[in-house]
Amino acid sequence: MDLRVIENLETELSIEVQGEDHTFMNVLKGALLEVDGVTTATYDMNPEQSGGQTDPVVTLKTDGSIDPLDALEAGAAGVKTKADAFAESFESAA
Amino acid sequence: MMVPVRCFTCGSVVGEHWEEFKQRAREGDEDPAEVLDELGVERACCRRMLVSHKDLVDIVSPYQ
Amino acid sequence: MSDQYDVTFIEQDERSAKFLVRGITPAFANGIRRAMIADVPTLSVDTVRVIENSSVMFDEQIALRLGLIPLTTPDDYRPEETVTLAIDVEGPATAYSGDLVSSDAKVQPAEEHVPIIDLKEGQRLELEADAELGYGKDHAKHQGGVAVGYRHLQRVELGDERGEFAEDDPEIIRGVIEDAGASETSRAAGDGGELVETASFDNDLGNRYPDRNVSVEDVPNAFVFDVETDGSMSVDDLVLSAVESLRTRADELEDAVQL
Repeated sequence: MDLRVIENLETELSIEVQGEDHTFMNVLKGALLEVDGVTTATYDMNPEQSGGQTDPVVTLKTDGSIDPLDALEAGAAGVKTKADAFAESFESAA
Repeated sequence: MMVPVRCFTCGSVVGEHWEEFKQRAREGDEDPAEVLDELGVERACCRRMLVSHKDLVDIVSPYQ
Repeated sequence: MSDQYDVTFIEQDERSAKFLVRGITPAFANGIRRAMIADVPTLSVDTVRVIENSSVMFDEQIALRLGLIPLTTPDDYRPEETVTLAIDVEGPATAYSGDLVSSDAKVQPAEEHVPIIDLKEGQRLELEADAELGYGKDHAKHQGGVAVGYRHLQRVELGDERGEFAEDDPEIIRGVIEDAGASETSRAAGDGGELVETASFDNDLGNRYPDRNVSVEDVPNAFVFDVETDGSMSVDDLVLSAVESLRTRADELEDAVQL
């Protein structure tokens, strides 16, 4: 997975995640919003036909208590935790 | 011509049920709805695949 | 993060299942659904070398039909790896998916009885086909999940007795309900109540509670998944691979951010 930083400020980060689509980005956005210190998280993705920026760009803002890059890392870790917890519950029920 | 392998709408494999459906509901006199229920073809999109199908191989084969 | 999921199976079969998940966010539920459709790879015929085809169908049409036949997919294949299958049928006969001979015993047609082509006297179908491990987002033939979806769990609460001359409108709902009215004890315990499929009362609450007013509302963060596979893998494998694919991507992102 290749990343391209578009904007990296003290409390704000915009980063392009190449090769991903709504499947992962929306899950990531959901997880980012659960990270302490993150005030805003969203992603934008354009259709193929737009001819412009078609890779998703995730944007997040923090309240200053956490570095935005660390928040993104925590978000990804959050998705992993969710996936592990789900797989575990599913396997024990199946 | 030949029965579609899968349902166009949902992608469930319907081709495997064709011969039994044909034998029981077309050539036999069972109720098509009951045969489809028994075959486990549940959704309307899959049911229409079998109900509306007509084999054409016998019709076109003399012209090859 | 309090990630405690509660999974309850409502129906469970090799190829189809219905299960309730509590405590899941809509975003994650949708991620799993999308991953099941587009990101779990399956084997499917991709390239065909025709040796003889004197049937009434064109080579391309036969190739399309072969592509749509689900093949059992063991989990030790990597994307774009291939398996060769061969078929040789001479008329008068019908070529079935079960006539395909695979070079790997673990890769077999999931259905044996799908007619490929009806062959008349003197007609013959002989070909070799390469099946490739591909993704549902590239071609629908690689979709392992068929009609995969989810619905909110709905909670039914009983209201007052209905007036004798009240309008007798049907109260149509679909999916699975959590029936708080079924027993007083479960209501007191606050654990929701009995899970009932709406199909069991013909999707009309008026049939289940003819003389009562009812209120229906969605249960937050509780979703009923309805998963069906085309036979290339079991429901359990499909769901777990979908979750695994999300996990792998989160892992990649974490690594990429750390650099």
